[in-house]
Amino acid sequence: MNFSSKLLENAVKALSTLPGIGKKTALRLALHLINQPEDQVESFSRAIVSMKKDIKHCQVCCNLSDDIICSICSDPSRVKKLICVVESVRDVMAIEDTNQFRGTYHVLGGIISPLEGIGPSALNIDGLISRVANNEVEEIIMAISPTIEGETTLFYLSKQLQSFQIKISTIARGVAFGGELEYADELTLGRSIISRVPYSSISED
Amino acid sequence: MENACLSMWLNQLILTNYKNYKWEEFNFDPVINCFTGLNGMGKTNLLDAIYYLSMTKSYISTNDSLVSRFNTDYFRLEGHYSRLEQHEKIVAKVQPNKAKVFEVNLNPLNKLSEHIGFLPVVFIAPDDISIIMEGSELRRKFLDNTLAQTNTTYLSHLLHYNRVLHQRNAYLKQIANEKNTDAILLDIYDEQLEKPATYIYHARTEFLKLFNPVFNEIYQKISNEKETVGVEYQSKLDGDSLLNLLSLNKKRDVFLQRTSVGIHKDDLLFTLEENPLKKYASQGQRKSFLLAIKLAQFTYLKNCLGINPILLLDDIFDKLDPFRVQSLINHLITNFKGQIFISDTHNHRIPGMLTDLGVSHLHKEIIDGKWKK
Repeated sequence: MNFSSKLLENAVKALSTLPGIGKKTALRLALHLINQPEDQVESFSRAIVSMKKDIKHCQVCCNLSDDIICSICSDPSRVKKLICVVESVRDVMAIEDTNQFRGTYHVLGGIISPLEGIGPSALNIDGLISRVANNEVEEIIMAISPTIEGETTLFYLSKQLQSFQIKISTIARGVAFGGELEYADELTLGRSIISRVPYSSISED
Repeated sequence: MENACLSMWLNQLILTNYKNYKWEEFNFDPVINCFTGLNGMGKTNLLDAIYYLSMTKSYISTNDSLVSRFNTDYFRLEGHYSRLEQHEKIVAKVQPNKAKVFEVNLNPLNKLSEHIGFLPVVFIAPDDISIIMEGSELRRKFLDNTLAQTNTTYLSHLLHYNRVLHQRNAYLKQIANEKNTDAILLDIYDEQLEKPATYIYHARTEFLKLFNPVFNEIYQKISNEKETVGVEYQSKLDGDSLLNLLSLNKKRDVFLQRTSVGIHKDDLLFTLEENPLKKYASQGQRKSFLLAIKLAQFTYLKNCLGINPILLLDDIFDKLDPFRVQSLINHLITNFKGQIFISDTHNHRIPGMLTDLGVSHLHKEIIDGKWKK
């Protein structure tokens, strides 16, 4: 790509370092920014810089936060006795969007996968154990992807937590809502049959 | 035809950049197809392409990047099959840094493993003799290849087992470097291995019970001998649970930085009159043994799936006298009613024999990745 301006070239290079952005998209974004009012572009870049500078990890749950304690952990209406364990911040957002959960979270920061160099010590597991040890926790809900590595992580956590008198549950696995049975894969469908639930518990919502 | 509903055959194959084929199209005979030509012309590659469309990988090259033609980086295979009176179009597309794509009637498959067993296939090549002479890996590959084609649960347990095993081995390496032994995670991997390992152990045991009688019958027919042959399953899981074995070997595994027991160490013992084949058999006996084990695989696949597999015979008539070749061909045609693909370096030997026998067949001479028009 030939640029008439070094300034443009630098901006395009910077934008194309972002995931999912190729050279052409980067050029399109840069040209768009040139045509925007200056104050708008300034506030755009300020938003990015101050996000990077000031964002914190919540000391309790490791979720992204503006303060030392995140807005979920500091919300008095959230049920502290209930902790939902997730892999990443994105999972917190996905569960928050359901409006079905009023407890608190714990973000592990990944799952156990020695093949990718992630052992148990690389994850925020000690934080979870001390939360359980020092607070009145009744139930831990494991909302971890049902992959082989997810299962490893789940087993590992439940072994670490077995000395505490708490309930450990995992999110249900089965046929997608609004999905048709014939399109469900065999493994999922087989599992849904084995771990079926009484009819009455489906209808109450 | 023995039974019309057993039939499956490849009508048409189009290769693009597959090994030494730049672009070539073949229309096949439903019964016998014979490719002749000098060494290095692409006869084996053609059979390998047919294998690829069934098993989603090459029989000969372990790495897809070695499959595409010299100086190219992608390849494509398109096969048109008639299967249980339905037309099935299978396309394989492999490009660098992209996931391998398999399409069945234009629908891309979510998992390649779903495809295994849809178009059963048996490949017989001269190099297969190493299954008798060399390490246990090749014998496990034979077991897995047969069971994966007939039992999808087996395949998913095997993939699961291998994935956990890789993680366990990576973890053993990691703790060796960090000098910390967090035994809990090893225990968890052990538990995760237990279920698939037990399933695989039982499936392999059951398979050999069914396989041995079929194998003996075929061996005696093609060798014209009364000798008994056997395939004996050797597994440490015989009489002990994997959990127990893994915990007994834990110290060793930590030292070796890999998992030293499990179904990935199983082996098969081949016997002739109850003696180990490796030590006691002559060249000819080995050759008959190999041929019989593969043809027994064919029969086993046919019995399980209700479909005649495609039989790929790569240069197996080499060093056989004309009389034996003829008796083998005769035997194959009468007893193995699947579509057969044969490669041979003699231009007229096999086609001539087929003509004499009055068997319909297709003959193509292969020259440098093209058939002679």
